[in-house]
Amino acid sequence: MSDVLRARGLVKAYRRGRAVDGVDLTVRQGERVALLGPNGAGKTTTLLMCLGVVEPDAGTVEIAGHRLPKGRSAAMANVGFAAGYLPLPERLRVREYLRMFGQLYGLADPDGQAVRGLERFGIARLAQAMGTELSSGQKTLIGIVKSTMHDPDLLVLDEPTASLDPDVALRVRTGLADLCQERGTALLVTSHNMVEVERIAERVVFLSDGRVVADGPPAEVAARFGRDDLEAVFLHLAAGRQAPEHVEGARP
Amino acid sequence: MTATRALRVPVGRARWLRISAVARRHAYVLRRSPHRLFDVTVWPIVDTVLFGSLGVFFARQGGPSSAAQAGVAYLLSGIVLWHVVYQAQIAVSTGFMEETWSRNLLSLMVTPLKELELVAGIAVFGLVKLVLGVGVVTLAAFALYAFDVTALGLGLLPVAAVLLMGGWAIALVVIGLILRYGNGAEALAWGIMFVVMPLGGVFYPVEALPAAARPISEVLPTTHAFAAGRSLVDGGPMPWGELGLAAAGTLVATLAALGFLAWMLRLFRRRGYITRYS
Repeated sequence: MSDVLRARGLVKAYRRGRAVDGVDLTVRQGERVALLGPNGAGKTTTLLMCLGVVEPDAGTVEIAGHRLPKGRSAAMANVGFAAGYLPLPERLRVREYLRMFGQLYGLADPDGQAVRGLERFGIARLAQAMGTELSSGQKTLIGIVKSTMHDPDLLVLDEPTASLDPDVALRVRTGLADLCQERGTALLVTSHNMVEVERIAERVVFLSDGRVVADGPPAEVAARFGRDDLEAVFLHLAAGRQAPEHVEGARP
Repeated sequence: MTATRALRVPVGRARWLRISAVARRHAYVLRRSPHRLFDVTVWPIVDTVLFGSLGVFFARQGGPSSAAQAGVAYLLSGIVLWHVVYQAQIAVSTGFMEETWSRNLLSLMVTPLKELELVAGIAVFGLVKLVLGVGVVTLAAFALYAFDVTALGLGLLPVAAVLLMGGWAIALVVIGLILRYGNGAEALAWGIMFVVMPLGGVFYPVEALPAAARPISEVLPTTHAFAAGRSLVDGGPMPWGELGLAAAGTLVATLAALGFLAWMLRLFRRRGYITRYS
């Protein structure tokens, strides 16, 4: 399988210090990867560099064969992005919002894709609602529909289920799993919910202090840290303790 | 992995589709934010009444045969043309600010939309606001002061075109400053116009300004465009030299503004300022 995302040697320093320090990140077609780490580990900065929104001080990013920043526009045609913290523009109805993004992605039938996307996540009834009328969970769902309606090669979700109840979160996980299965869409997700990560991701990449400290299947990573699950690994890293040894990724 | 993928339009059409998507989004914003209509209805009327009445007052002081009579026409033609600059600038600046207010910037930046396409989409819809705003001034000047700006003839069109570009150039600078300094720079969208208005030769020639301000006024392209407009008010032929100077100056200003915007955008990406809006 080919690489959908290939980031090499990403470095980003802000005034307070290095937020990201030499991160390599590869996501292959159809792969479901979680980018994890405590607050301040460099997850969002890494994501934003991979999306071409923040320019790295060093390193390269390639998406679906397009090198950033020059090929950003062409690369983004293959990427979907949603974040639990991003609101919907207030003065748009859901269908107008989805049509707008469908057109930005160059879809020939944005309305049809919007309907199919809403149905996939069981929220077709929200098509006529205004952004202001939606709950935070519904907004998150609409954001996910927006990010998937163009059948991207890579779907990047930043804290997608942070504001969802367990039932809706399950619907999201199921919808995303179907999408990955049917379309071969690769998934790169960040989350603080380790239980959910274990359900959704087949590989996890742990960041700490801007560096990759583990890369591999969830159970394998937990075992390498001598922990039972990812939650325990997370708490271990958040406590600022060093791993018993530097854990290399399972991938070459 | 057997499902068919969503159909896309050809690459050439995709650009126009993106621009029209942005324009349509801003049409929705205006339709659902009636207070935004103030810029294109209330302020144009306020400006017309203010400058029209000033002109009438001074004309009456000077008597029926005085040169002050021409002042009314200078002021009213000036305010009509000023609204070309003002509406063009405000529509693009506030259109961009709308994306920051609604925290939509990050979502837009991770689509194929290019920066200039975003500005173009906002500017295209801004033309609708411009037509509304300038139309209101024109109608108010005619209804309240019997001043018919269309009597100045087709020569007014190239003058307005130069002023339109000038307004867009100022907007590009304002957007660049917002990218660099965040929403704190928003006040400049309106504030910068209060600087350009007295120095930009809207109502009077350069010689009317204090000596210290004249060199600044001289280099502003709007000064020469408005001078060309006053020449039409006087019934003279189009002063092509003056208009050429205004067009050349506006071209240089637009290129400089684009360069400034590109510089600020690079800084925006390098310093990760997107986190201000996410």
